[in-house]
Amino acid sequence: MTGNRLRAEGLVLTYEDRTVVDGLDLEIPDGQITVVVGPNACGKSTLLRALGRLLKPRRGSVLLDGAELARIPTRRVAREIGLLPQTPVPPEGITVSELVTRGRQPHQKWWRQWTEADERAAGEAMDRTGTGDLAERLVDELSGGQRQRAWIAMVLAQDTDLLLLDEPTTYLDIAHQVEVLDLVRQLNRERGRTVVAVLHDLNQAARYADHLIAMKAGRIIAQGAPSEVITADLVHEVFGLACVVVPDPVTGGPLVVPGAPWPSG
Amino acid sequence: MTVRPTGYSVLRTGRAAVLLHRRAALVAVLLGAALAVTAVAYLCVGESFVRPAEVVRVLAGQPSPDEFVVGTLRLPRLVVGLLAGAAFGVAGSFIQTVARNPLASPDVIGVTHGAGAATVAAMTFGLAAYTALPYVSILGGLTAAALVYVFAWRRGLHASRFVLIGIGVSVALGSLTQLLLTKGDVLVAQQAKVWLTGSLNGRGYDHAAPLAAILLVLTPALLWAVRAQRTVSFDDDTATALGVRLGRVRLGLTILGVVLASVATAAAGPVDFVALLAPQIARRLARTAQIPLLGSALTGALIMTIADLLARKLFSPIELPVGVFTAVVGAPYLMWLIVRTRSRSGGAA
Repeated sequence: MTGNRLRAEGLVLTYEDRTVVDGLDLEIPDGQITVVVGPNACGKSTLLRALGRLLKPRRGSVLLDGAELARIPTRRVAREIGLLPQTPVPPEGITVSELVTRGRQPHQKWWRQWTEADERAAGEAMDRTGTGDLAERLVDELSGGQRQRAWIAMVLAQDTDLLLLDEPTTYLDIAHQVEVLDLVRQLNRERGRTVVAVLHDLNQAARYADHLIAMKAGRIIAQGAPSEVITADLVHEVFGLACVVVPDPVTGGPLVVPGAPWPSG
Repeated sequence: MTVRPTGYSVLRTGRAAVLLHRRAALVAVLLGAALAVTAVAYLCVGESFVRPAEVVRVLAGQPSPDEFVVGTLRLPRLVVGLLAGAAFGVAGSFIQTVARNPLASPDVIGVTHGAGAATVAAMTFGLAAYTALPYVSILGGLTAAALVYVFAWRRGLHASRFVLIGIGVSVALGSLTQLLLTKGDVLVAQQAKVWLTGSLNGRGYDHAAPLAAILLVLTPALLWAVRAQRTVSFDDDTATALGVRLGRVRLGLTILGVVLASVATAAAGPVDFVALLAPQIARRLARTAQIPLLGSALTGALIMTIADLLARKLFSPIELPVGVFTAVVGAPYLMWLIVRTRSRSGGAA
């Protein structure tokens, strides 16, 4: 047994009677960025929700430090695992600073609603995400990029070792996508946070992941370092897409270029 | 960088630290002052006018020639109105928070109509003694809420389904009440009708006592709810990720809201709109991200007192049920609320 904190064993996940993930074993490497990719409805978001105890496994279990996640009080889980859903809904009329400080919820008690630790964590989260200038603005009034940074600041303020992000770049333009992913990478590199992210874009996944998991129809097809996992065959198998894999001119990692060469005519 | 949620102050004593929303606190103080003034005015006005100085003397327990009029006739009715109004306000705040819908209130989810139907049934069939009616009312409210809960529950409680089914149950119970009134004894029906519109006429300390007792018993739960309310204003996933036991918090707030609304209904009749309006008014005044509890209670009490003051005095010597006035004032405000919310969300899209 390895020392990784978050694992899944024989995981079966269902919505109503539809089985989405069927008998999945998984280990999230500590201190690394794990990215889950796969076609729509392959179960990647479902898997992430189960890892964050938002979905109870039908069978099998998610283990945190060897203990079954479903048996750990949700508040204690919230001090170890932070999770940002795909489309979180803020309370109406909430300011950015209040949203960020709500991330401190699992650390607070009724009679201790604000401590120096809360203040430090919230301040640092806002510094890192550059949301300090937005502190007094209403979340409803922010642009998409600003709002996403505010949400990330909230999960950062939660101050957890494990961070689960469900498509954190959806609805963002390319510049903001890169900004958010750079931030995630920085958190991982400088603070040693373990990150699991579901991403749509294969090339972004290849660039930011230390550990890549490719899923299809509720199963893991391949996992490992992006340079080993991403091949033209795998992309075809997982996405049914013909492509060419070339070296990324910036990083030297794999870059997926869709399409087979046109027949010269 | 030091950070603090905007608009909040930290109150510290020793290791304890409580966050206080400054504007909400100020609003509560002002509402309290307005309520005090209204209460004194309420005690002054009636068939005979009593000078405010005399009212204050009576309240302070000093001998006064007006002791009977103020202390015996008017004060008990005022106390029922204040307590019922506050209970309606807090009940509305809980149900609106759980349903995440500002239009949801105990009358919408069938609680007050359940309480109403049960009470009218007990009156019509002579099932319960007069003094037992409050408890019948509570039983009816809880039963209606349980019905809504059972129908709305499908692997979780969803806000919109909750409200929709609540409206359905509400309408059904309203019809049941009408049926009982039509089939039953005319005299009893007359009596029941006044109670149903919500009337504080002839209400005294025997109505206030169960209400006050239950409010007192619920105080620790209410203190819990102040903070719990904050956490359920997120979507389900975000709240759970923050370590909130969503199911329990929702159930707890719902039961609290149902009990409070039922007890208030038992005391004052199903007075419409107070539970619906008070939380929204309080929230707009305080500009908080969740409904301020104390503000809702004070606003509810204020609405109730003003409405009953008007009901007693406006068409004197005829006394109208207080429910008529909350409806006359409440309905247009509600419509304005809906129009404003819709035009605002339309503008942002």
